[in-house]
Amino acid sequence: MSRERLHPAVWMTYYLLVLAVAMFYWNPLLQGFALLGGMLYFAAIAGGRAFLSELGFTLPLAVLVAITNPLFSHAGATPLFFMNGNPITLEAVLYGILLAGMILSVLYWCKCLSMVMTTDRLLTLFGGFLPKLALTFSMTLRFFPRLFRQMKAMEAAGKTSGLLADDSFFDRLRGRMKLLPALIGWSLERAMETSASMKARGYGLPGRTNAVCRKMRGEDVVFLAVILLLGGLTLLSGILGDLSFWFYPRISDLPTGGISLMGYVSYGLLCFLPVILEWKEWYQWHLLRKKIPLS
Amino acid sequence: MKGFKKDLLIIFALVLLVAVLILGTDIQSVDEYYLTHIDDIGPDSETVTLSIRCDTVLANLDKLDPALREGGYVPEDGIIFPETKLVLREGDTVFDILSRATRYYRIQMEYQGADETALGTAYVEGLGNLYQFSCGEGSGWIFFVNGKRPSEGASHCKLADGDRIEWIYTCRFGADLPDHYQGVVK
Amino acid sequence: MASSAKENSPLLRVEGLTFAYPGEISALADLSFSLSAGEFVLLTGVSGCGKSTLLKLLKREIAPHGKRSGEIYWEGAPLSRLDDRDAASLIGYVGQDPDSGIVTDKVWHELSFGLENLGTDPAVIRRRVGEMASYFGITDWYRRDTDSLSGGQKQILNLASILVMQPKLLILDEPTAQLDPIAAADFLATIHKLNRELGITVLVCEHRMEELFPMADRVLVLDEGKLLLSASPREVAGLLPKAHPLHSGLPAAQRIFAKLACEGATPPLTVREGRAYLESHYAHLKGAKLPVVPVTEGETVLELDKVWFRYTRNSPDLLQEASLSLRKSECFALLGGNGSGKTTLLKLASGLLTPYKGEVRVLGKPIRKYRSGELSRVGVALLPQSPAALFLYDTVEKDLLEIAKGNIAGGNADAVRAMADRLAIASLLARHPYDLSGGELQKCALAKLLLASPKILLLDEPTKGLDAAYKEHLVQIFRDLKADGVTILTVTHDLEFAAKVADRAALFFDGEVLSPDSPRTFFAGNHFYTTATARISRDLFEGAILPDDVAQLCRGGAQ
Repeated sequence: MSRERLHPAVWMTYYLLVLAVAMFYWNPLLQGFALLGGMLYFAAIAGGRAFLSELGFTLPLAVLVAITNPLFSHAGATPLFFMNGNPITLEAVLYGILLAGMILSVLYWCKCLSMVMTTDRLLTLFGGFLPKLALTFSMTLRFFPRLFRQMKAMEAAGKTSGLLADDSFFDRLRGRMKLLPALIGWSLERAMETSASMKARGYGLPGRTNAVCRKMRGEDVVFLAVILLLGGLTLLSGILGDLSFWFYPRISDLPTGGISLMGYVSYGLLCFLPVILEWKEWYQWHLLRKKIPLS
Repeated sequence: MKGFKKDLLIIFALVLLVAVLILGTDIQSVDEYYLTHIDDIGPDSETVTLSIRCDTVLANLDKLDPALREGGYVPEDGIIFPETKLVLREGDTVFDILSRATRYYRIQMEYQGADETALGTAYVEGLGNLYQFSCGEGSGWIFFVNGKRPSEGASHCKLADGDRIEWIYTCRFGADLPDHYQGVVK
Repeated sequence: MASSAKENSPLLRVEGLTFAYPGEISALADLSFSLSAGEFVLLTGVSGCGKSTLLKLLKREIAPHGKRSGEIYWEGAPLSRLDDRDAASLIGYVGQDPDSGIVTDKVWHELSFGLENLGTDPAVIRRRVGEMASYFGITDWYRRDTDSLSGGQKQILNLASILVMQPKLLILDEPTAQLDPIAAADFLATIHKLNRELGITVLVCEHRMEELFPMADRVLVLDEGKLLLSASPREVAGLLPKAHPLHSGLPAAQRIFAKLACEGATPPLTVREGRAYLESHYAHLKGAKLPVVPVTEGETVLELDKVWFRYTRNSPDLLQEASLSLRKSECFALLGGNGSGKTTLLKLASGLLTPYKGEVRVLGKPIRKYRSGELSRVGVALLPQSPAALFLYDTVEKDLLEIAKGNIAGGNADAVRAMADRLAIASLLARHPYDLSGGELQKCALAKLLLASPKILLLDEPTKGLDAAYKEHLVQIFRDLKADGVTILTVTHDLEFAAKVADRAALFFDGEVLSPDSPRTFFAGNHFYTTATARISRDLFEGAILPDDVAQLCRGGAQ
């Protein structure tokens, strides 16, 4: 799979570009690309069931966001009706819908990012140029599940020994306050143990190396170049001002010059790139499977 | 995570519901809203005059929000609402006059109610689609009564017969107003 | 010259080592011994005899601070002069707590951690890690989160991540104290294999002598900071002073032999040797049996009635119509494999979890009708799997004082002191709970539970990390508790302890408590899941499950 095969840095660049454009350019067409691309990619890597269950959360969220905006923002030249003396305007409604779309596309892309960028790959990403950070990151990931388990164990122990009541919210709050110093003590103790274990295995000797470096391969470089080119063209078109769009006081026309077109095409391609890759690979497997003779 | 997301949605929906309940749900159609009764000026009525202007924008067109540059949002003479005589009702404040006039003459207005602002007075954010910050960082609406800047806010400033109210758009915290206002704005 | 000195000198030599922690009397006194390359040495002694201190002193990076004299030599030269890189890689150390050694979140990263520190080339790291993962059978969980591993896997990982650095000496401080018997046996077998196949020198401190005696070349016995004995495992029973508490921890065959005191015969070490020894000396007594004490009926204080439980909607049922009733003043031992749901059963019995079907009743009243805190007031107490969770303050004493408040009328401090004496933890009262070893923590946790004057004690692995002498002490405490009307339900892997202390024992398997019975019937009837003594004596006697039983039958027959 391309998402596993390509260098994490390539993917990281990709996500940063897609998200940056999605968050800073309020152009309905670009937002549409980002949303559709993000949703399709999520469906492709998470599967239909996960996609539907995610939709159960994101759709109501989108509706709520879309409703909220016109209730609180009354700008816009086309009032639809007045509520408590304030206009509910067409522009604010449309802006709310775009805002909801943007929040959704950021959510979906972040979902994909967290699925593709497993901690392993993040380590590979940072391990190369920020080895200390990578190690700290890895140790943090090791520590937190233990901390939560310890907290649960302490709560359970307190409950059964009758020292922590949990009849009401305030009981629980008081219990947590009581656990806090003990948990801090526990964390410090774990930190001491960990540092002893690190020292025992030679941590702190000069000339530390990193086992998790992964070199850029030819394929990585090609993809990085494509991504940078598409992202760069989009940004260029944006910098030249040909992607601008506004809602207030009256909705502007969608810019349609040559430079704008360049921006649309390049961002569209960028957003659908991973889905296209997934489908292409799925199709290749499909063909390969057909060739494998059934014995 | 599932539970957390559900909670988030429920909280969001509840906040929205509470907001709607507190703010009320008095819904009017556009025509109903603008169909405001305005008193005819009789021989006994007390009156004030109101004008809304944005001359300063003309000198700062480069800073103006591109969305407002076309479409006549900024009149060429800078006058959004020419000086007009209006009936003063008992107890009227600057804000009462403004909101009655904008309704009657269908001028767009958005404000923060007196209960929403920190100073406890209504704050006018936009008039005629021209908002604070629409023309640079120091831009926004300020008002004058008889050429002076009152110390109270718009919804506290009581009026007397013959007062002259001006709503003026500034682009530089009041420093760019015509000369005769300079003395009253610091 | 230097090289010849290196060849002739032992791998490690300790000369007149004396050590004292700041402000305390000496932990080690004038200790001298040496380890030859390739030796497998077992270091033993009762808790608090200075074993851990000694082992840490041998690993330079984690040596405790304090006043020391004497010298430790590594291949003839003082250890302090060893190069940092060599010191880190040539001597490997594995501690008691499987969690504390692990630094990173991924198994593969943990394995490469040591080599990264040494500055090894990434290509070499990958090769050595791959080699080690294959040798240890880690390949299946190579990509997993370290947090998701079982205790046994964590200890194997700790070992493997040291072995990639190619050490010559492995120092292990009670490495299996926190593991269940099967994981422990696996781990010890791995150590043995490393010693035999790779010639790595092993110095291990352990309470599990049943398994370790047959593996070890030599046993060092430490007593109050002094070296009491250095002998081959077979000789230990004979050389150890008669009343030494360590006797109760020796392998069953040796204890049987010691009780029968036959002059001249070679002391047996393993189950097989023990059987042969009994066959050759007591064959004429074949068929002797011990009477089975009938299980007494009594008032039911805790009952699980056809209980079903699973953690999440899609997970399998851990309890499937499990039923169990505890009678007043009895001790019930629940045995069974790891992850079978024994701990879950305890949590259900203590009200921490709620069954989705069936009912738990405490003193005849359904558990869900108790309000929070009420269960502890009627006297239900739970010793959790990780006893550290019971301690919230910076000294053990504060925690004990807190629980003693209100539960025992009159002087709280007196009650705490009396309890401390009863459980022999007076010296631990002022210590920070997290500074204690697993065994010490276990004792303090028991003290905390008992201070609440419980009526029903639910114990999860009460003997974890305890040495044999203390287990004997605990057996006595349990008997006293029962005499006071306390009911005990203990989940344990310690078969001999269960055989000594339980009135009834049962196997928990496939979500059910299988036919509880008196321990004599239970252990004598089991073929595998039984005490070492029962395995030794099964062909000759009936119902002998403890060394004392065998001794009684042999002597009884001899008279």
